[in-house]
Amino acid sequence: MHDPIDPADAARALSEIDRRREQVIRRKVFPGWWWWAYAVLMTAFSAAVESGRGVLTGIGIALFVVGALLIDVPVRRAARAAAPRRGLGARRALTGLATFVVGLLGVAVATGFSLKAAGVPHPGAIAGAVAGVLFAVVGPMLVRYEADLLMRRSASQG
Amino acid sequence: MITPRFDELIHAPTRLSLVAFLAATGWADFAVLRDSVGLSDSALSKQLTTLADAGYVEIRKAFVGKRPRTSARLTTDGRTAFDRHVLALQEIVAAAGGSVVRSSRPSGQS
Repeated sequence: MHDPIDPADAARALSEIDRRREQVIRRKVFPGWWWWAYAVLMTAFSAAVESGRGVLTGIGIALFVVGALLIDVPVRRAARAAAPRRGLGARRALTGLATFVVGLLGVAVATGFSLKAAGVPHPGAIAGAVAGVLFAVVGPMLVRYEADLLMRRSASQG
Repeated sequence: MITPRFDELIHAPTRLSLVAFLAATGWADFAVLRDSVGLSDSALSKQLTTLADAGYVEIRKAFVGKRPRTSARLTTDGRTAFDRHVLALQEIVAAAGGSVVRSSRPSGQS
């Protein structure tokens, strides 16, 4: 029995299938500004809490919540527009991102206490800024790393 | 156990790109599909209708505010047909001596 197409055509088709899978995995969901917007929110939130004034703390919390909801709108929309299928490891990527955020909180707390022990003024705001910058710099790298991992993972199971 | 089956309907270049993209997603918005695969609105509509008529694609139309939003996803039959088509392609390549190492795998595997 003859094959319906020649092997070169089949190989090209398989390459195209790989390319489309990669397109879904690497589709940009987080715009560049999103990371820095969160960095600003984190810094402002830390400064508001550190002020120790009830009104300022309340405003800081409200601004953080409202700001985060607004900032996340385009991300949620982009994610819903073509979310990778479960089997491609989207859950694993989200777990990685959540672990990163928890790690950042640890860094912020440790930095804040260290600065306070050293007598540096505004340790909370500085710790928030450090965590924010780390979030904005490392976050996109983590997303790229996760995408690479998903690509390697899907390729290795061929 | 999925058996290989070459699918002429899926193999047409534009539809292969479309089905391969859909195989990697759940629901995909019309605009994302159009931009990702590089088709005009009418060409994409035509291909989606062809795939939907074959039972490979499910089309959903909803409204977000006043704006209509169309999405599509592979049906179970569509996913099975795609998986069988990928296996058929892999067999053809393998039968040729495996000179081309492929990483593609059926979408059902995770």
